[in-house]
Amino acid sequence: MRYLPHTNSDRQAMLESMGLHEIMDLFTDIPKEFHTKLGSLDLPDALSEAGIVKKFTKAAEKNRHAGNTRCFLGGGTYHHFVPAVVDYVISRGEFLTAYTPYQPEIAQGTLQALFEYQTMIARLTGMEVSNASMYEAATATAEAALMARRVTRKTRTVIAGSVNPRYRTVTENYLSRLEGDYVEVAMGEFGTDLSQVIDAIDETTACVIVQYPDFYGSVYDLAPLREACDAHKCLMVVAFSDVSAFGLIESPGAYGADIAVGSGQALGIPMAFGGPHLGVFACKQKYLRQMPGRVCGLTTDADGKRGFVLTLSTREQHIRREKATSNICTNQGLMCTAASTYMTLMGDAGLETVANHSAAALDLLVSKLPNGVVAADGAHYNETVLTFASQEKRDAFISEARNNDIFAGIPLETIEKGAEQIDGNRHLLVATTEMIEEDDISDYIQAMEVAL
Amino acid sequence: MSNTTYSATSGIQQEERLLFEHAHEAPESISLPGVQGKAPSSLDVFKRKSAANIPGLSEPETVRHFVRLSQWNHGIETGFYPLGSCTMKYNPRVNEQVARLPGLAHVHPDQPEDSVQGILGLLYELQGWLTEISGFKDVTLQPAAGAHGELVGLMMIRKCLDARGEQGRKKVLVPDSAHGTNPASAALCGMYTVEIKSGADGRIDLDELKKHLDDDVAALMMTNPNTAGTFESDIKEICQLVHDAGGLVYGDGANLNALVGVARPGDMGLDCLHINVHKTFSTPHGGGGPGAGPVAVNDTLKPFLPVPRIEKDGDVFKVVTEDKQSIGSVLSTLGQTGVYMRANAYISAFGHNHIHKIAQDAVLNANYVLSRLKDVYHVPFEGLCKHECLLTDEWQNKHGVKTLDIAKRLIDLGFHPMTVYFPLIVHGAMLIEPTETESKETLDSFCDAMLEIAAQCEAGDTQALHDAPVKPIRRRLDETQAARKPVLVWSD
Repeated sequence: MRYLPHTNSDRQAMLESMGLHEIMDLFTDIPKEFHTKLGSLDLPDALSEAGIVKKFTKAAEKNRHAGNTRCFLGGGTYHHFVPAVVDYVISRGEFLTAYTPYQPEIAQGTLQALFEYQTMIARLTGMEVSNASMYEAATATAEAALMARRVTRKTRTVIAGSVNPRYRTVTENYLSRLEGDYVEVAMGEFGTDLSQVIDAIDETTACVIVQYPDFYGSVYDLAPLREACDAHKCLMVVAFSDVSAFGLIESPGAYGADIAVGSGQALGIPMAFGGPHLGVFACKQKYLRQMPGRVCGLTTDADGKRGFVLTLSTREQHIRREKATSNICTNQGLMCTAASTYMTLMGDAGLETVANHSAAALDLLVSKLPNGVVAADGAHYNETVLTFASQEKRDAFISEARNNDIFAGIPLETIEKGAEQIDGNRHLLVATTEMIEEDDISDYIQAMEVAL
Repeated sequence: MSNTTYSATSGIQQEERLLFEHAHEAPESISLPGVQGKAPSSLDVFKRKSAANIPGLSEPETVRHFVRLSQWNHGIETGFYPLGSCTMKYNPRVNEQVARLPGLAHVHPDQPEDSVQGILGLLYELQGWLTEISGFKDVTLQPAAGAHGELVGLMMIRKCLDARGEQGRKKVLVPDSAHGTNPASAALCGMYTVEIKSGADGRIDLDELKKHLDDDVAALMMTNPNTAGTFESDIKEICQLVHDAGGLVYGDGANLNALVGVARPGDMGLDCLHINVHKTFSTPHGGGGPGAGPVAVNDTLKPFLPVPRIEKDGDVFKVVTEDKQSIGSVLSTLGQTGVYMRANAYISAFGHNHIHKIAQDAVLNANYVLSRLKDVYHVPFEGLCKHECLLTDEWQNKHGVKTLDIAKRLIDLGFHPMTVYFPLIVHGAMLIEPTETESKETLDSFCDAMLEIAAQCEAGDTQALHDAPVKPIRRRLDETQAARKPVLVWSD
């Protein structure tokens, strides 16, 4: 077996040095009745390396992917450009095959990369501090709700109905075993009506969670929410699905958010059928000690040189156990390094260009919509909802687009249960990035004209 | 003293500034594809008032920056990495190659099912294999890491008890040797933990366990082999006692590497088990993640598995998103599918004919290290160990040397230290897990280093231990200073 260095004579020599005869002598502490007959598991024969490549290539060829289609799918995962250098950096064994940096003297590479990640995420989201990642956006949102309970010592959670339904579901699930109300504010339209959200806040509210841009891609003024949160002494949590927006539009921090959470997948991380992605978690400095997850901090070594360590671990499970701020241990460390590399290559100018191209593509698409298809009102970043005359018309378009190697969008009801209650299953969530070219949009519109 | 058997040496180490300290202005931006226009004017009022101040380096500078940083790290590809309970085994390169195939890496999670049959098939296949290897009836791939798996397991246990009309059961028993994630996960589930004191042999003491078994008990969370590296031989009785008291048994699978292909936790009476695929099934740790923490369940808990999950209908793979009894979903997507591609490739490489060699060589290596070190380091619990062995610094303490000094000295000799000060049930713990992918030569070299350190202690020649490490780019770092005035972001 190619991953095991021992020869049989090595094994024998080692056993003999311990006064043992055969390898199963090492397992006599496991009751006999629980011994599995060696080789009896229902698994296939071992594959050679070439066999593995062949198997996976065959499986991969059965899938369509963003490389051989035009992907207008969003809903929390986006097909942005990934520079070659990002994958090179995270493929380096020193980053890829290191553990959590518990021995900082020989993990300064991971630690400095985390410190740089935290700094850049704080700057991009406009927040004061960032942690070293959560699993992904939905669990990050749930953790924000839990953190707000600790900070405010209140238990009611208010969440806008225009937050990604998956983030809402997971947040509700996390909160459901704990005391306190969970209140979803239905919007009744494809956008965010802040006044309804604000009306739902009361004195017992720990936090209010909104998404910006919201699940439908809508961009709106968050300023009134800050005032309402101050009036009721609750935390303002701003979630987001595509962090690339903040290369262009005002950040959650600029609106006074207490906690900003969301997906960092846009920062050089492939879609990978749903993961591993990157959960971003950033907050105000004053709430630092209630923040979940690992953080990296600046310090000095015995010679007075600058260095980095994991810090504030008294918040964490391995020290604080049941009183920890979260149970999270393993996070998405390598994805932080990917995001750092990506942001370094982009800089302010590149990030702004990504956002401009992503938004310009949607604007172009919407401007060319034929009669019978309507895009949601208001300002949008790179995602919107298209409404068709009927479900039949929508589905006819989806399949015509598919015939032209286009994934036209996500039927809204597949993510948002009850979306049909607005007015039937005739809505399509469509997203664009800088990977969509003008020709792709022409083909998209043409498919629409053919189908309708 | 000769250092010739150890690999650590001092080559050229490049210092590297923070990104934010590179002096020059950002170069011309990377050229980007797409619609070469500006965002619509409707977004004008929402534009950032000031730039985020993300540095922006040229491509060669970016590569050099991160390559220099990488060279300050020790990874499993660099050298021995015997972190106990972390299973730092070799991560096969072919797994990286296949996971990056465009048909797997660039697939959107909301593509129509007929366009993702290949990847659904690989995931479904892995579900079957994980179920078979662990000895359970089904598995969920949704949990993103071990601790997330613990939460899911406890949510299922909660729901199962509720379905039995046992809402009042909220006590979770946790051995004092447990991982810290166990009590933290229980708290998230609205339950409370009670610690059970380990017996004199480091294992669960049946009498002590019985004292805590009453009508409040929801579950026992146990790790087997435990974090002292020994097998809980009373596992059958333990499960029986908990079940008789009306509770369920949660298995923390962090130490599954000791059992793969040799014994199955599902056969022993546990109700569920989370599996750390980033340990047992070789997916890279990435400097802290990503991992994945699938949870395998028996028939008792199967109805409560999270959604979405993958099922097979004839020849077609389907994603099931709703199920009445399910605990619901705990992640936006099916799971960390990219991680699972690697795990599938890893199990494929072993097959039924070699899979048991993982546990066999892992246990052989740990016992070999134990046998070479047991005369010079204190071994708190006698007998066979499984995939890891536990030592303490008791005998070195009398020379003024602590576990931390031994760990740091190992760095100077070219080894990543073992897990230190865990488990908490012994003073000055050193938990060594060599894994199956280390050669006898490497194990001998590590043991020689450990023996040399012990000899230096005996000889009173301990200065090098207290000074260590001196070879890495940084020496011991001041953790107190970092925590007292936390600086987590750079300000220009």
